[in-house]
Amino acid sequence: MSSLFKRVLNRYIGTAKHQFSRDASLAVGRNLPAVSRMTVKQAARLWEQHFLEHDIPEARLSSQYIIAHVLGAKTLENVEQRRLAEFLTDAQTERVWELCSKRLTRMPVQYVIEEWDFRELTLKMRPPVFIPRPETEELVSLVLQDLQAQPYGGKTGTTGLQCLEVGCGSGAISLSLLHGLPQLRAVAVDRSPEAVSLTRENAMRLGLQDRLHIHQLDVTKDGSEIVETCGVAQVLVSNPPYLFTQDMEILEEEILRFEDHRALDGGGEGLSVIGAILGLAPQLLSEQGRVYLEVDPRHPPLIQEWVEQRTVGLQYVETRCDITERPRFCILQKGEKRRGQ
Amino acid sequence: MSFLSFVHPVLSMARRLLQGGICHGQFECYPRLPGGWPLIRTVGKKDFIDLPTLNEDDLEEQFVRGSGPGGQATNKTSNCVVLRHIPTGIVVKCHQTRSLELNRKRAREIMREKLDVEYKGEESEVLKKRKDAIQRKQEKRRRASENLEKKRQFKEMLSAESKPNQDTG
Repeated sequence: MSSLFKRVLNRYIGTAKHQFSRDASLAVGRNLPAVSRMTVKQAARLWEQHFLEHDIPEARLSSQYIIAHVLGAKTLENVEQRRLAEFLTDAQTERVWELCSKRLTRMPVQYVIEEWDFRELTLKMRPPVFIPRPETEELVSLVLQDLQAQPYGGKTGTTGLQCLEVGCGSGAISLSLLHGLPQLRAVAVDRSPEAVSLTRENAMRLGLQDRLHIHQLDVTKDGSEIVETCGVAQVLVSNPPYLFTQDMEILEEEILRFEDHRALDGGGEGLSVIGAILGLAPQLLSEQGRVYLEVDPRHPPLIQEWVEQRTVGLQYVETRCDITERPRFCILQKGEKRRGQ
Repeated sequence: MSFLSFVHPVLSMARRLLQGGICHGQFECYPRLPGGWPLIRTVGKKDFIDLPTLNEDDLEEQFVRGSGPGGQATNKTSNCVVLRHIPTGIVVKCHQTRSLELNRKRAREIMREKLDVEYKGEESEVLKKRKDAIQRKQEKRRRASENLEKKRQFKEMLSAESKPNQDTG
């Protein structure tokens, strides 16, 4: 057994102290590809092949992201052709083997490399905090477009522009909004202590901690505390858990085994957290303040109907689609229904 | 009234027209203007490149959609964007970042540069800028090697002068 291979095994078993140790040692028992000196390109191909053989989804991409990360790049496209033909150092090889072994346990790539990009930001990722999805980037664009288009009822001065995020996870939405609007202040809540901690960490890394207040609060239980603590905002934004409980069973392993189920499960019809948010919204919003929600494609007509059939202090503004043309975003505004509706 | 103060309201109206409607692309930076050409030149900016504006209707975008509801139900890491300009057939592939939205933006920027080269040929600002950059680099290298040569000659001169006084070992 080569000494490099021995070092890789020892390092690997050493790191198996984390919660996925059982799976980790299974991966080791599952025959890792032999370790030897190879080029970047060869390592990428080898691990792509190995992932394919073990039914790891997105075999090529997983291999490429991990190896690019070890080289200090985001994607292999950013690595010069010349570099791709060079040999990995021993240290890099060990690192590649260590990270790819984690991917063999179906750990999502974002948790393997402990980071991911969201719009212009790079955020730290850590299980079980929910990994931001590409659709949510569009939610941020929607909010930014609206905030940039109209100076929000002329409210500048002492109160300034404020947004409130419910269910912040890694902090992606709030931090992206803060990054895009220098005059914005944000408050974010999440029921998960891990999410609060990770959002705080990401805010510090981006130098945005002074403009973001984070509280560990549950919108389905701590409604009055949220109203007391968070003040009034022009924008209320959320990517709340919106999956239907029955759909949780068919989720891929990457999600089921590694992400916080409570960040996903929205109850029988996926509306339990959404309902709590909409119920509190009128107390949390300034006049003509808006709610922006990411939802399941089945939700928009249900939400619209619910709002229009009751006096809830909100009006339904519109539904927007995501890039795959699925209805994905609901926009509502504080205010009573106009007469005659 | 200046030309610019006339044009700004036109462009912002075009932007609003583009943003309206359900199930429409979200690229607010690309107002829908006839043909491929910008309506204005920004005056006074030395480095500004007059790139063609993109009409979203001329573009075909390819990315993995997947079945099922998407969103929270999926965790796919595929965010490579392939953009095709239908009238010219030019294709741009972009996987510079791990953000889908940023890759889409960058792909469009690259497309604008390629269209500039395509439409303008030698006159393209993109090509001109590149040529300038190369020339400046070459000039820098030439000056650097001239300086090295001068230093070398000076050293030789010094050692030639000091030779008669040295005891060779």
